[in-house]
Amino acid sequence: MHPLYGTTAVAGIGMCQYKRGSSPLPEQGVLAKAIRIACAEAGLDTADIDGFVSYGDDKNEPVRLMPTLGIKELKWSSSIWGGGGGGIAGAFGLAASAILSGQASAVIVFRALVEGASGRLSAAVMAHHLNDHMLAAGLVAPAQICAIRANRMYEHHAVPKQAAEELVRASYFHGARNPEAVAYDRSLDLDAMRNSRWIAEPFRLFDCSRENDGAAAFLMVSAERARDLNKQPVYLLGCANGAEKGWGDLLENDDEQLYPTTGFRPIARRLYAETGLSPADIDVVQLYENFSAQGVASLIDHGFCTYENVAEVVKFENLIAPTGKLPVNTGGGNFAQGFIHGIGTAYEAVKQLRGESANPVPDAKLCLLAGGPGAPTVSSAIFGREIP
Amino acid sequence: MTIYDGADAPYWNGLTEGRLVLPQCACGDWLWPAVSQCGTCGSENIQWLEQAMRGTIFSWTRTWHRFGFTENIDLPFISIVATVEGCGIRLLGRLDDPDQIDPVIGENIYGKIGATRVGERDIPTIIWRRG
Repeated sequence: MHPLYGTTAVAGIGMCQYKRGSSPLPEQGVLAKAIRIACAEAGLDTADIDGFVSYGDDKNEPVRLMPTLGIKELKWSSSIWGGGGGGIAGAFGLAASAILSGQASAVIVFRALVEGASGRLSAAVMAHHLNDHMLAAGLVAPAQICAIRANRMYEHHAVPKQAAEELVRASYFHGARNPEAVAYDRSLDLDAMRNSRWIAEPFRLFDCSRENDGAAAFLMVSAERARDLNKQPVYLLGCANGAEKGWGDLLENDDEQLYPTTGFRPIARRLYAETGLSPADIDVVQLYENFSAQGVASLIDHGFCTYENVAEVVKFENLIAPTGKLPVNTGGGNFAQGFIHGIGTAYEAVKQLRGESANPVPDAKLCLLAGGPGAPTVSSAIFGREIP
Repeated sequence: MTIYDGADAPYWNGLTEGRLVLPQCACGDWLWPAVSQCGTCGSENIQWLEQAMRGTIFSWTRTWHRFGFTENIDLPFISIVATVEGCGIRLLGRLDDPDQIDPVIGENIYGKIGATRVGERDIPTIIWRRG
């Protein structure tokens, strides 16, 4: 069995989310608060945290959190490379690596984003990639790059645009029923969605995730230790991170077959091989959707459907809890739960497996977390309520 | 004026002089993004060869939202990925779009060198047209 399989667990979670530009605390304060909530749930003193992992160029260097959390000794601080959300699932694998190799024992996985401190996320992501080739073409935002990829997927690979709308509707359906979601108690006006303003064709406003202020934190410990803490453990069963030849930061010169994908083919292959699981085993998916088309492409990459049958699988009725066969983004996802660089998708993965989701999937045992699609480096993970 | 010092400096200097030049390794591979050494054969013998500004549309988007850094480009505008005829390298560029007709993937295009003003700089840019 792969060393990551069921050997570490999430023992506590905390999330604080606000409308963009309206955080009541500075970024570090919000982050520290989320970490305290996660540790309080687990019954672990924040002084005993000894490691941190983040992704997406988070600006909060862990050593600076030591005073406010009263940490005695920092033994591990690291981050997944890449400016986008591709590293979110990989962050859990990195935390597990620290724990399994004995380099740390109580590791916080986190992401914090408050506009006043970190600026606009879209600008930060692009600052990571921008060069004169892109500036000259007027391609300066993730929405535009993802739009170009989406047009190729729709036009050349004949993926129906309707699938993207079904995915957006499912996210808003769940968000409307989740008290922690920005879209809580609001129904989605289909006409308003379909006629919302163009951003970059084929994307209208409602095809795009929109940023929030906030932070989320996850306490990871060994599986054995998690069983002695207060909360039901949610086990990490597998995690894969990376890119294959012909994919990456290539000025759009990716391999032609990989171009319309979101980079997850090698990740999914490894994840399923190393866990012995398959798409049919997954009860619920938390899908990072920066943009609607990339969410659909991510589902294809992860083997839930193909270019040929995507229209039959990615349907609203099929994507919603509790009745759909492939419930996706049961907290509302980046579109409707909120967008703190995707960390809310991981939060919902844990909530769902603990039976605490606002949109529970009956008897959900396994949850796939798919990281930011289309990033040069991407990652995914599978979490379990038990170790199958 | 910007001094280009990356592996793709000859590309930018070429555009400034009115020519499109792209890098080919002695082994025959075209290397893009530009690198200093070929990843296939290990050779550092890389020649920058002039290419005709002809090609096809690989994909496109028409931007309507005013993103930062695009202030000097009239909205809406089309950005494309263009496959350059012969070498197969894909370049980012802009497509002249006077009548707002949706591009078609595979459509033939030809380019002329213009510029894109970003902040206080004029970046040489291939502006593509249909035909």
